[in-house]
Amino acid sequence: MFGSRGVFAMKTMELHLTVNGQSLNWSIAPGELLLDVLRRQGYFGVKRGCEKGECGACAVLVDGKPINSCLMFAAQAEGRHVLTIEGVAIDGKLDPVQEAFLDHGAVQCGFCTPGMVISAKALLDRRPDPTEDEVREALAGHLCRCTGYLKPVEAVLAAASKRKNRARRVKPLTEVSR
Amino acid sequence: MFDKVEAFYRPANVREALRLLQSGKGQARVVAGGTDVVVDGDDSVRFLIDITHAGLSYIRRRGTASVIGATTTMAELEASPQIQSLAGGLLCKAAHSCGSMPIRNLATLGGNMANGSPAADMATPLLVLDAAVVMADAKGRRRLPLAEYLGNARSNRYARSLVVEIVIPDPPRGKGCRWSFQKLGRTAVDISLVNVSAGLHLDSRGRVKWVRIALGSVAPAPMRAPGAEQRMTGRILDQALLAEIGAEVAREVSPISDARASAEYRREICSVLTRRALEECSAPAGCSL
Amino acid sequence: MSRDRLVVGRNVRKVDGVKLVTGGAAFTDDVQIPGMLYGKILPSPHAHARIRRIDTRKAKALAGVHAVLTYKDVPRVPHTTAGQAWPEPSPYDTYLLDSKVRFVGDRVAAVAAESRAIAERALALIEVDYEILPAVLDMEQAMAPGAAVIHDEPDSTKIYDREHNIAGYILREIGNVEQGFADSDYIVEREFRTQRQQHCPIEPHITISWLDTDGRLVIRTSTQVPYHSRRQVAMILQIPVSRVHVIKPRIGGGFGGKQEMLLEDICGALTLATRRPVKIEFTREEEFYMARSRHPQRLRMKMGVTRDGIVLASQLTVLATTGAYGSHSTTVQGNTGSKVLPLYRAPNMRFECHVVYTNNPVAGAFRGYGCPQGFFAQETLVDEIACELGMDPLEFHRKNVIRLGDTDHLSAQLGEGKEGLPRLVRSCGLPQCMERAARAIGWAQKRKSLPNGHSHLRRGVGMACTMQGSGIAGVDWASAFLKMNEDGSFYLQVGASDVGGGADTVLAQIAAETLGVTLDKIIITSGDTDITPFDVGAYASSTTIISGGAVKKAAGKVRAQVLDLASKMLDAPVDKLDCGNNEVFTTCVCRKAVSMTDLAMQAMYKEKLQIMDGASHFNTDSPPPFCATFAEVEVDTETGQVRVVHLATAVDPGTAINPMQAEGQVEGAVAQGLGYALTEELVLDAAGRPVNANFLDYKMFAAEDMPKLTTILVETDEPLGPYGAKSISEVPINGPAPAIANAIFHAVGVRIRKLPIRPEDVLRALGAKRAANLEEEALLTP
Repeated sequence: MFGSRGVFAMKTMELHLTVNGQSLNWSIAPGELLLDVLRRQGYFGVKRGCEKGECGACAVLVDGKPINSCLMFAAQAEGRHVLTIEGVAIDGKLDPVQEAFLDHGAVQCGFCTPGMVISAKALLDRRPDPTEDEVREALAGHLCRCTGYLKPVEAVLAAASKRKNRARRVKPLTEVSR
Repeated sequence: MFDKVEAFYRPANVREALRLLQSGKGQARVVAGGTDVVVDGDDSVRFLIDITHAGLSYIRRRGTASVIGATTTMAELEASPQIQSLAGGLLCKAAHSCGSMPIRNLATLGGNMANGSPAADMATPLLVLDAAVVMADAKGRRRLPLAEYLGNARSNRYARSLVVEIVIPDPPRGKGCRWSFQKLGRTAVDISLVNVSAGLHLDSRGRVKWVRIALGSVAPAPMRAPGAEQRMTGRILDQALLAEIGAEVAREVSPISDARASAEYRREICSVLTRRALEECSAPAGCSL
Repeated sequence: MSRDRLVVGRNVRKVDGVKLVTGGAAFTDDVQIPGMLYGKILPSPHAHARIRRIDTRKAKALAGVHAVLTYKDVPRVPHTTAGQAWPEPSPYDTYLLDSKVRFVGDRVAAVAAESRAIAERALALIEVDYEILPAVLDMEQAMAPGAAVIHDEPDSTKIYDREHNIAGYILREIGNVEQGFADSDYIVEREFRTQRQQHCPIEPHITISWLDTDGRLVIRTSTQVPYHSRRQVAMILQIPVSRVHVIKPRIGGGFGGKQEMLLEDICGALTLATRRPVKIEFTREEEFYMARSRHPQRLRMKMGVTRDGIVLASQLTVLATTGAYGSHSTTVQGNTGSKVLPLYRAPNMRFECHVVYTNNPVAGAFRGYGCPQGFFAQETLVDEIACELGMDPLEFHRKNVIRLGDTDHLSAQLGEGKEGLPRLVRSCGLPQCMERAARAIGWAQKRKSLPNGHSHLRRGVGMACTMQGSGIAGVDWASAFLKMNEDGSFYLQVGASDVGGGADTVLAQIAAETLGVTLDKIIITSGDTDITPFDVGAYASSTTIISGGAVKKAAGKVRAQVLDLASKMLDAPVDKLDCGNNEVFTTCVCRKAVSMTDLAMQAMYKEKLQIMDGASHFNTDSPPPFCATFAEVEVDTETGQVRVVHLATAVDPGTAINPMQAEGQVEGAVAQGLGYALTEELVLDAAGRPVNANFLDYKMFAAEDMPKLTTILVETDEPLGPYGAKSISEVPINGPAPAIANAIFHAVGVRIRKLPIRPEDVLRALGAKRAANLEEEALLTP
């Protein structure tokens, strides 16, 4: 028996994969989804929002690419490198994307934040100096009901310029005058 | 969901995949990106056959054709220089519209065809490009015109076969050849309310030498508009003809009403998008518009 | 008040931010409890039916099933699920489980099993024989003679007229509306319709309950109202309040949808039945139709003005449906009148509303709470009147909107389910909001000329002004408790419920400011009924002003204790002392200081004194925050698509305790308002079944869909709020729909009076306009 899905699937199988740099060996049911297995294993930062691949709250990187873990069978992660939000900060040091999310007020309830951070990190790994449109496109798979997306977009652009460690004018997305 | 699955297979080639599909006796389901299979959530599935290791992820040239392996993802299509240079990047544009980034990293071209959705965004550009589907089953491989395949994708006809690759013969090339993909959704990431692809070859006098128009989400399967194509051939493309063609495609389609849009609206949009597609195709050629 | 503020008014990071950006286990579901069962509710497939026979034997016999509950197994206690202060003004028309089902998705039975899969299978094994009853699906038919009676059970109470399916009825008038219309030069009356919008929190409703080692029922739940839930669960399960402990962890968005006791009762019942931990989590589909939504309304609005454009009378007549149960029915609809009409200084106002039951999904509280509907009608009508008078809508607003020092008398008649209290406007930044948002959008120039030419893309600009409240006057109250730790930090306990908007941070900022310490010296726990003192919860834009008021009071008392001790330690009179930067110092020339740490050690180990205190707070008025929304749109005249190019929102929130968070509230509300205006609607089929209960078909705005946004905070100083704060979270949601509708009119000359504004509605309106023009031309041609 295991967890929420294994009871009818009497068969089990072994899954070897790397999560956040750690090589792991799990016993799973053949029909289990990666989202369910990750949460069962305690990766609570991988969120369950819709289970249809529409909200992006469950996004993780598989071999560096963002995917919705609710759409991938766990067995398909065999031999692959999975990065969850828990693996983004290294030794307690936040990634520039995470820092920027905090500094720019891009976090409200925080439920969609792990997915957004993961996709933003993948974008910046691929394109260190993205345009605003590219950021919006990279975040388009992540529904957020709190922020209206402006501050997350602003945060990703700020993180990009911080990561590049050079002064780069970030076009203000929100003209705030007080 | 998928609680009855007893085994998950990762065949290393097509032959092994077909063998597993045969022995699954209708209770096996082929999976690649999972974006449709998982969402469908078919509770009766007992065996899953993951074909992403079966050597079907490729984009190649073969003779005078481009060949795309079934498990090639939308993201891979978008990023491929070969696909970018094919028909003015028509397929890239369509692939880019297939959902958000985390979806396009999973979703495959073969899956988009095999799912048989009338709204499949890759179908109309492939119809315009006269693409064919290569199927494999126990008896071997065969090649089907895409339209024929799409018309039956949701039936049981291909239950024991596998979409192996999509073959795209080289389209007409040259100065007068232009392509367009038009899609109307409610938001940026959306299933098509209507999508239209067009390919147009104008001769030096602005006469239509060759034309293809395909429409999605307006019939039980993505469809060509043969009536409109025939009307255009050999004629000068001007505003009057565009209006005539807009009206003709609206007659040819058979949309339904659903939560996304009404049939009447879809029909009207068919005319608008077809006209826009043809305008995009003709504008750079310096014709009379 | 002498020194500059050190913490209030600053853009500090969220106090709970780090755990959220690192994926820390913070939410309801982020725990693994040994032996936990999975609960699942069997939803009714019928809109209206009586359960003739229900057989659970097969389900119970399934291996792994621990409990199957039907109406036969649970106490029958009429209640409301609305998370409101006792006595709730909503009808008591709901039962834990009932022998009758009243909408598709209503509870039929509940199971607890060892896995989700077993629970789902067990649901399929429950045999139900339904007597299908005629259903009332159209709210226009609900009061008709012969319509099926939805609440025919005798034990429900507080229903206005059950025979005619009327959950609530409101009629209020100030002045003399008939006379006002008689005195008017122009009268315009129009009908508007609004839709069923769903909250779509990215975290669906979820509850986990278990029995602690003392046998008390612990409920860990995604709620905005932990205290109301505790009281309601105790009442429904017939156990003492003292035997229930509600814990609110981090919440993945609420927006009013979680101002509702929705899963806590049934989850608790399953725990009591099995003695095991039980989790119930809505799937996304269930969230759409089994949780709550915004009340659909039909609004008839009539306004009379002088030829100079002065409003003399306004009348709003509303028909709304609450769905199958009356949760928040009269209070939401009351707001549609009381918070909307008084925006204009008309001496004569009349508001009448029927809230009817239908066999549809249940409506409830939703950010804006009745105002988005009312303002859509009022602000679209006002735009039409201004245009007909040949007056700039901005000028019309300048002439007519409520001003500083005005009293809103309609609110006195329309309180939370009873007589209310008059509202006096003690702070008002509305004029500046209008001017600054107008400037941001380029109103003066764009109103006159837009580069429209002959393109099929046409641009236009439109505006709307709106207001809201800050807490429910005389009803909402909160409390806070503070104690000092040995290192000079303070532990702040508040019943307030941070549901993601940053309440914990704002409340900690208020405490830090008052105590003169840095924000890191405030440790906050919120929303735990065992640990924190009472608070009504997160709703009605109340947390900053009401809970913040309690925190400021409590911190003031603790500050007094700190100063008393410092006075002794520094040998200086209290009135010569101040706190700041984690120390207490003398304000005289010979500056002496003692650090909070030294002071705390002195208190605890020398004085044997725990520095601590608490306070309660409420207001007898609900200061309105104001908002001006300006939109520029581009209409595609061939497809009817409307693209919002730019949306400028200027809000008067009083003091913004945390401006960055305040902006975030505006932008989030605007995004929901954009969806409300253009894309969002939960659609039901002819049998009352939802047809788009998923994110593929129910479209909310994503990052790529957002227009350019301009957010302007116009700060004022509200005497009733802590450090001058009012509220901000709700008011900006009201403006986008009318501003966009008005901009569409400016762009293409058609009035859309139905939400959401779908491309095909615009296209149809354009077609009708063209046809009318042709007809007119034909008539004019001899």
